[in-house]
Amino acid sequence: METVSIGIDVGGTNTDAALVCGAEVLALVKVPTNQADLLQSTREALMKILQHYNGTDPVRLHLSTTLQTNTIVEGRGAKTKAIVIPGPGVHLASLNLPFPLLELTGYVDHRGREVRPLDIDQVRRIQESLDNEEIEALAVVGKFSQRNPCQEELIARELSAWYKGHVSLGHRLSGRANFPRRIVTTCLNASIAQKQRDFLQILRGAKEDLVADIQILKADGGTMTLEESAQRPIESILSGPAASIMGVKALSRCQAKNFLIIDIGGTTTDLAAVVNGEVLFERDGAIIGGHKTLVPAVLARSFGLGGDSELNYHPGQGIQIGPRRAGTPVCLGGSALTPTDAAVAKGLVELGSKDRARSAWDVWARQLGLQAEELVEEVLRAFTRQLMAAVDAFYRELEGMPLYTVEEVLHPPRLKPDAVVGLGAPAEVFIPPLAKALDLPWEILPFSAGANAIGAAAARSTVGLTLHADTELGTITIPEMGYQGEIRRPLFFDLEKARKLGEEKTREYAKSLGYDATGDVYIVEEESFQMVRGFRTVGQRHMVRTQLRPEVRRIRIGGKST
Amino acid sequence: MTQVGLVFFPAFDWAISPDHPERQERLLYTRDQIQEEGLFDHPSIREYRPRLATDEEILRTHVVIPSLDSKITESHRIAAGGTIVAADLVIDGLVERSFALLRPPGHHANRIVHGSRGFCVLNNEAIMVDHLRSRLGPDLKVAIVDTDAHHADGTQDIFYNDPGVLHISLHQDGRTLYPGTGFVSERGGPGAYGQTVNIPLPPGTGDEGMLMVMERVVLPILQEWKPDYVINAAGQDNHFSDPITNMSFSAQGYAQLTELLGPDLVVLEGGYSIEGALPYINVGLLLALAGLDYSKVEEPYKGGGRQSRAISQDVARVCGEVMELWQKRSEVDLVQVFGEGDFFERHRQIYYDTDNIHEAQQDCVRLCTDCPGWRMIYTSSSRNRQPVAVVLLPWKPCRRCQREAKAQHAYLVDEASFEQVVWQSPAVKLG
Repeated sequence: METVSIGIDVGGTNTDAALVCGAEVLALVKVPTNQADLLQSTREALMKILQHYNGTDPVRLHLSTTLQTNTIVEGRGAKTKAIVIPGPGVHLASLNLPFPLLELTGYVDHRGREVRPLDIDQVRRIQESLDNEEIEALAVVGKFSQRNPCQEELIARELSAWYKGHVSLGHRLSGRANFPRRIVTTCLNASIAQKQRDFLQILRGAKEDLVADIQILKADGGTMTLEESAQRPIESILSGPAASIMGVKALSRCQAKNFLIIDIGGTTTDLAAVVNGEVLFERDGAIIGGHKTLVPAVLARSFGLGGDSELNYHPGQGIQIGPRRAGTPVCLGGSALTPTDAAVAKGLVELGSKDRARSAWDVWARQLGLQAEELVEEVLRAFTRQLMAAVDAFYRELEGMPLYTVEEVLHPPRLKPDAVVGLGAPAEVFIPPLAKALDLPWEILPFSAGANAIGAAAARSTVGLTLHADTELGTITIPEMGYQGEIRRPLFFDLEKARKLGEEKTREYAKSLGYDATGDVYIVEEESFQMVRGFRTVGQRHMVRTQLRPEVRRIRIGGKST
Repeated sequence: MTQVGLVFFPAFDWAISPDHPERQERLLYTRDQIQEEGLFDHPSIREYRPRLATDEEILRTHVVIPSLDSKITESHRIAAGGTIVAADLVIDGLVERSFALLRPPGHHANRIVHGSRGFCVLNNEAIMVDHLRSRLGPDLKVAIVDTDAHHADGTQDIFYNDPGVLHISLHQDGRTLYPGTGFVSERGGPGAYGQTVNIPLPPGTGDEGMLMVMERVVLPILQEWKPDYVINAAGQDNHFSDPITNMSFSAQGYAQLTELLGPDLVVLEGGYSIEGALPYINVGLLLALAGLDYSKVEEPYKGGGRQSRAISQDVARVCGEVMELWQKRSEVDLVQVFGEGDFFERHRQIYYDTDNIHEAQQDCVRLCTDCPGWRMIYTSSSRNRQPVAVVLLPWKPCRRCQREAKAQHAYLVDEASFEQVVWQSPAVKLG
């Protein structure tokens, strides 16, 4: 039996839904997003797509929603206080973190050694210090807690005796180093936890009989269970761009190892890159509403250039497009000319009224003292020109990523694309000239307009872990699953052993969350150092970052669409 | 806040030998600490990639015998190139200050290189200075303040007769530590006399002594000399926990030093307390460079920073002595120091501890009243017994020196008694 799944991507303007059976797309629908009540439009999309389903077997639902992204961007999260253990180092107050902090003494060093224990009286006094504050959630974050979470855990145990609100612990959310980001990530997670629980409750209540299982899409393009999303709601942010990229992975026939993904929308264009067959991820984590986090996320860069962008003419410089949206294109009844109107006037696409577009170009061209055809051409050229500049800047940024080994400097990873994959409604107009300018082959994604929903439907569950082993101290830490182990035979615990353990633990963790753990576990990153003290090797330090590969189901092209 | 460019290159896959202090692990904990403190993505700090230095960029400064590729690894090329990147960031105005936090280090590398000494093959600061001049012109004035615990004998050697460079090295007294030089009496060649300033400090000197040196010597000298750029050769082995020195600076002390000095460019030198010191010194240094609050930076394991009264008196005496020499530098009769003839000649034996090579050098400087004078160096070593001749011209040679140097070069080539005759002149091409 083929798996039937529904993908829903709640976007800023539209909510897209896709019904996918095995490798075939059975239906795509689109409804306007109700910003005041996201659940209402989500439900509407679900009802509409279910009308295309004739089967009786229950379906899975993969939901990518902007709910938490909006909560964070609009600053509507619960009032959260961070209980932090900064130890010596950067003065936290100087970082101007956007959350109130309660600093405790205590300190864990880079090896995970507890240098200074917590002051237990201070921990017990947390309750008093919170008494007069309207705090709705707590985040507990220690410096280097990813190397040893003992102090965060002790505080959590003390809190559990009396605190009824949500508590997020830093080490459970990421194994990466970066204390300020860990504070921000943990606070944001705590601040949206209640909202996520409310949302899940409504979702479960509203569940159609036909929907067997609901999964939430994450910023890394994988999915998680509702239970998991209640613990780590922060991972559901920015799932929209991830959905589109998963759509590309599901639909593209591009054979190139390296390619550029360009998603052209009405207001913005998003760029993402595939290198050596893998989608590139953010180095540290997602940035949302100006907050730098440790949330694993596909690397996507957005800029204000789209089919509905505003146009400005500067004598001598020509046309400047964007960054703001002009509104509805003239051909569709709007009042301001847009790049879409240029494509319509030139006959590159059929959309709305070509005559309306043409006469508007005539009027504007006359004002500027130009020929209408000339002006239309210039708009199309300007679009390619600006897109080229953005692509250049994007790869310049990628190529600026630091390199820490001689090997990497001598043979830097080749990031440059060998092909361009375009999606979004205006892609068929604007991708070919760009690809020609870049001298690369191109592909316009089939189902271009619903690729995000198809991507959500085709996504699979993922988990990622960070294993840190120190054979001198005999410790193994996997913060994301709260695991701390001992190395019994330090001399024999080499990198290979660390890899094996990482893989094993990833499967174990995946299974405990109810995921299909038979997929490919791969090593995202690893490092291994010999530790020498006084001309004598005292141990090895291994770090292995593993992930259950965010595979997607491949979608066959040529399926029906409605 | 000051914008700081950080060129971080820990060379995680390079070591002199597996258990050598210069090994893969050296900057691992520094990386961990900077990352955990969130400084790689702090708004006032931006990280940049290093690159490989070209032959030209290296050979402008060094003469490598028998050939460049026989003596350096790619890692040396990247450390030198990273230093050049750091200089370019400041020259091009992309940042206000930059920090080349990279290895292998360089300040024991002389102009002539037969191998590795004091873990160094290429002198990163010297390559940086010559890069600055190649971009901004030969009139540029650059001061190097070397705060490594070991005397910067390589940098001193390279700029010994270079009036465009002021070289100040503060270090543990050479009678008690490698390389055994760096006394106040070493003051530079005939063309730059007084511009080599050595401040040997007694073992056990702590933050107080270091701050005294900054306030009484380094800052007043810089204020008077008015360099266009100040480079800090930031060795971190004056730290109380360093395993191969005997000093007593703390991470706070290093941060204060950085704030007082306010260098335009910083290049990492030594420092081998890789867990107990480097992570904290580097965090403090970055914060101080960026004008951020470093008051909470401290080592987790205590043990230093203080010094005894006897040391304080000793440091005060050294400061007095150095300042007196500095103030009276133009009153010195150079004839008394360098003699009366056309040339000043010196013979030196140089030991390369890391590679166990003995070099013998004969160095002749033309005593010239119009420029620092052209130079001729004959060098041979236990590894390269065939002598090599080097003819050197300064950045701003007078016409007579150019003529004489060219004639000497032609003569040496004709004579054919040298394995190699090298022409090194940043400003004048042969022929």
